[in-house]
Amino acid sequence: MELSESVQKGLQSLADATFFDMKTFSVFIEVAFRSLLSAHADRSVLDQPEFKRLDQKLLKHCHTAATTCILEGVKQNADKSTISACLEDVGFDAERTEVFYTTYQVITNLLCYSFKIHSRSQPQTVFFLILIQYFGYRFSLGRCPPHINDVSWRLEYCIKNGHVHKVNEPSYLISLNVENANNGGSSEDLHFSCTMEQLQVANMNLNGCIPF
Amino acid sequence: MLLVLSDEHKEHLGFLPEVDSAVVGEFGRIAVEFLRKGTNPKIYEGAARKLSVDAETVQHGVEGLMYLLTESSKLMISEVDFQDSVLVLGFTEELNHLLQQLYLENRKEIRHILGELTPSLPHYHNLEWRLDVQLASRALRQQVKPTVTMKLHLEESGGDKSAKVLQTDPATLMHLIQELEKALAELKTTHCRRILRNIK
Repeated sequence: MELSESVQKGLQSLADATFFDMKTFSVFIEVAFRSLLSAHADRSVLDQPEFKRLDQKLLKHCHTAATTCILEGVKQNADKSTISACLEDVGFDAERTEVFYTTYQVITNLLCYSFKIHSRSQPQTVFFLILIQYFGYRFSLGRCPPHINDVSWRLEYCIKNGHVHKVNEPSYLISLNVENANNGGSSEDLHFSCTMEQLQVANMNLNGCIPF
Repeated sequence: MLLVLSDEHKEHLGFLPEVDSAVVGEFGRIAVEFLRKGTNPKIYEGAARKLSVDAETVQHGVEGLMYLLTESSKLMISEVDFQDSVLVLGFTEELNHLLQQLYLENRKEIRHILGELTPSLPHYHNLEWRLDVQLASRALRQQVKPTVTMKLHLEESGGDKSAKVLQTDPATLMHLIQELEKALAELKTTHCRRILRNIK
């Protein structure tokens, strides 16, 4: 995993027993993981009694470094050896490395159980999606077209209108509920009408999309 | 159902018996063309010069024909009802027959043109699709995420076309298909068939 100089310095401070004894370190690691999993940013996340004696600037630097390291590990789907090697490079001893990785595993396993992840999904993917929800606009999952979430339909029979009488034709009104991930997750409805024949053709086309 | 023609309308059409049936036929052709593409006042002036009448008289005659055709087409009146409606104008049998032919030959097209005036939603034109598997992105590596990308082509009532690129996942796609199949099945239910059969 490639980490910037600033992140490495933050992790080196975290590894330093003069700043973080083992108890403080363990609490800090748990706080770092939990803060990433919270639905909303919590300004008081670092207001723990164990951190009172620490310099606030150092605390924030270490928090940023730790969370960046966590995110990078998840993004790369890093295994234990990769994470351990990275932490050892910045001065983590075996005990601190073990604490970090154990917490990492516990949180990802907890997510797997809590969200009843399908066997094909990767726990790291879901974990990262939770992190994305927390960071909101600060992360980008990449550009993608609006995503269809749902469909509603209405069948109507037109008898007449202001310009033509005796229309006597059935038609469908289809509404696709679409979520625009590039616009803060806003959703909108896309409406269109179609005849029965057009809907049959559209349905046939959609059936062709099924990958199995 | 009979058409009820106003006195003004009858007055405007009153010009038609004063000209040859060939001229009436030409006026009919101009009326349909104007319904297709909009009016052109220069035509009235040219015709007025040839017939030695006011341009306004020609205009009223053509517009009277246009209104007769649009109202008849809108209400989809039968041949018999059309004949009975124009009887009140006191035209010759030849002229009545000519007007009836003009109506029967063009009513389908005129109804289509009138239908375009109706407020309507964009309607379905075509659907293209593509199956992808996302392997990685800037934010996350080592993914296996199947995605269906679709291009939905829609057409407005004025003929303008638009295309929307949309995406979905296989589970949602199955849900979409099931819902649309339910929609299609609904048209075959007894309730809907009864309505379609009885309201004509």
